[in-house]
Amino acid sequence: MVSLLTLANITEEGVRFLSPHDGTPMLLTPEHSISLQNTIGSDIIMQLDDVLVTTSPDHKRMREAMERSVRWLDRCIAAHKNPDTQNLFCIIQGGLDTEMRKECCKEMVARDTPGIAIGGLSGGEAKDDFCRVVKTCTELLPELKPRYVMGIGYPEDLVVSVALGADMFDCVWPTRTARFGSAITKHGVIKIKSSEYANDFGPIEEGCGCACCTKGEGGLGITRAFVHHNVAKETIAAHLLTIHNVWYQLNLMKEARDAIIADEYPAFLHQFFANIYSDKADYPKWAVEALRGVGVDLLSDSNI
Amino acid sequence: MVAPEPDGRAMFKILKGVVGDGVGPRVGTLSLPKRRPIDTPNFIGVTARGAIPHLTPDNVGKRSELGGVYIALEDFMETTRKKTSPPLLEMNSEDIGPLHSFTATPSHMFTVLGARRHPAINSPIGNAKDSISIFTSTGFQKLTNEAYRQCVSKARPDVVIPLADMTYSQTTTFTETKRRTNVTSSKRQLRMVERTEDWLAEFFEPSEDGSEKALPSVFAPLLPVSYATQWEYFNQLEQDFSTKLSGLAVYDVDVLPDLSNHGPLVSLPRLSLDYTATPQEVLRQVQLGVDICTVSFLNGISDAGIALSFTFPPPSNSSAGIRPLGINMWSPEHEVAVKPLVEGCKCYACTKHHRAFLHHLLNAKEMLGWTLLQVHNYQVLSDFFAGIRASLSADPPAFEKGCDDFTKVYDSELPTGTGTRPRARGYHFKSRGGDDKINRPAWEKYGTESDPALAGEMAGLAVTGPAAEGKETPLVPDADAAELDRQGFAEISK
Ligand SMILES: [Zn+2]
Ligand SMILES: [Zn+2]
Repeated sequence: MVSLLTLANITEEGVRFLSPHDGTPMLLTPEHSISLQNTIGSDIIMQLDDVLVTTSPDHKRMREAMERSVRWLDRCIAAHKNPDTQNLFCIIQGGLDTEMRKECCKEMVARDTPGIAIGGLSGGEAKDDFCRVVKTCTELLPELKPRYVMGIGYPEDLVVSVALGADMFDCVWPTRTARFGSAITKHGVIKIKSSEYANDFGPIEEGCGCACCTKGEGGLGITRAFVHHNVAKETIAAHLLTIHNVWYQLNLMKEARDAIIADEYPAFLHQFFANIYSDKADYPKWAVEALRGVGVDLLSDSNI
Repeated sequence: MVAPEPDGRAMFKILKGVVGDGVGPRVGTLSLPKRRPIDTPNFIGVTARGAIPHLTPDNVGKRSELGGVYIALEDFMETTRKKTSPPLLEMNSEDIGPLHSFTATPSHMFTVLGARRHPAINSPIGNAKDSISIFTSTGFQKLTNEAYRQCVSKARPDVVIPLADMTYSQTTTFTETKRRTNVTSSKRQLRMVERTEDWLAEFFEPSEDGSEKALPSVFAPLLPVSYATQWEYFNQLEQDFSTKLSGLAVYDVDVLPDLSNHGPLVSLPRLSLDYTATPQEVLRQVQLGVDICTVSFLNGISDAGIALSFTFPPPSNSSAGIRPLGINMWSPEHEVAVKPLVEGCKCYACTKHHRAFLHHLLNAKEMLGWTLLQVHNYQVLSDFFAGIRASLSADPPAFEKGCDDFTKVYDSELPTGTGTRPRARGYHFKSRGGDDKINRPAWEKYGTESDPALAGEMAGLAVTGPAAEGKETPLVPDADAAELDRQGFAEISK
């Protein structure tokens, strides 16, 4: 993540930044951000928060940002005009400091917003730090409120975060990587731009149910060769891979839900990692450790 | 190779010809085997690398009324050290046919295969006795007549245009018109005709391995030179080939009136590959007897951010003064315009979205902007041709009056867009050395100078949290794989 401070100047009043349209200085206050979102009318609206990159070494500034985010939450709640129709989510801050995150959870949960976001992550921190923060927060959050981890999108991050108790995510990565010519598959990300796919007349992913990969009624029967033919040349390659990648992500979450309902989520996790890595020795250590912490041993042969 | 079945006369029914000698505007139906018939006059889409730019094949099928597409073989012929045979020709697709299957063209639509893009880039090498020079994304290549014939029999388009010895202009600017008439040497013109004659005769010869493969429907090229220069070729078409031809591919519509001297050719459907820079030129082509147009300004006008706004017949209340042919959606006046691109338009973009959103998408360089513009502009052209057909069928015909009114009511030129364009890839424009690329390179090092896109994203971050990891990617990265690697996007390491 690019440091916010290069472009925004944050004071107790709000965030000052230059207008993306004409460069004039603008001030975004918690009240103004809520008023804008009230006007837009989205089902979920987010508080204005003071967010620092998690890897910032400035502990004092991190504490200031966390405490300010709590104060701004109060201002957002007070300014919110449509609490019956729009759900205001708080955003937990506190960097990688577990104690600060706990403190923030306690303060924000007490404000009883309809949903809770865990913010400030996906900013280049180590994956085990990321997992530690998510787990610290989810353990303190109430059961019956959605927990939204912001900015998360790699498939393994999603399935691990779900195991740690997270419910929802958002990320530009599936569509961005599509624009770069990459397809997400259950066996990992493949670069369709690579010349090995020039003569590959199979679907983007065998067995995929998206409009590109299916044939016949409603299906396009798109081949890897055709996407390769147009990657970085015509926007259609980006469109086709976007259709596929978004379908992949939604289907991954659907399968995760089905597995949880069937009480088979550990088996789902085993299969997920086995699909990507043929050798358990290659499993990412952070994922193995994080899942061990919630009672799933990826390295054991048993699925339970 | 055997003669195509059914021949042009069976496929093409003229329902109403306006002038007695059969040359002039007419109403008809073109029914290619296995494809949905199209009413003529009509237009087909022009593809780039097998796709209607910005439209996925499902949207082409669902959101457009297109009955067919023009596809250039040169878009598929690039070879590299690793890849010596074009993938299109490696594809085995018995049921659907490789060209349809590879490009995922909707099954109700027909494909027209030609050697060169439309419009095409001129080759500095020029054509030779038995080959033309084609332009691929990896450079210029030679395509012999025999190789073309083999490609056609493998790719299996519905319609093929045999090779023509043509010289093209140096630019592909969409506003330019009449670019093909720049061959002034009469010697060169004669050679064009002779070669094209020879190549057509070869095209119909039995293939070297003696097998009799069914040819697609053949539309013979008519060259962009005067009738006097090519009348012998017309005679040959009439006497030797008229039963083998399913249609004519017209590279300069000005030769059409002279077709009246060649009776057997008159009833063949005429596909225009002449340039059109305005709808007035499209009307002129129809007046001269074109049945199927390729509207060469259409993709370019969407790229320029213009929403077409003309109808045929034109609106009658001409008190409004001269009307523009299109609306520049980059213009700030649309910033808060919560109305359709064109009032009453039934396209997806106009029924689901409004001008302000489209304006926003263009400014944000979101690809969806160009997708919606394409959907709209293709609809405008479909409606335009429906209006032409209705006026020709009307009793008494109202077409000529409509054309007169059209020139009075509308501006004589399309507006030019003011913003940046998508996918201005170098290889479309490479013909002249030292040219600047049309757009600024999308990949620039993020420095200290302020970047509006980034500032916008950061402003968003302040509200919604860290939704991204850095600078947003361009529409299509203008970088090779190694550069993309260095940019470092996420990848599961294996
Ligand atoms: Zn798919
Ligand atoms: Zn429209």
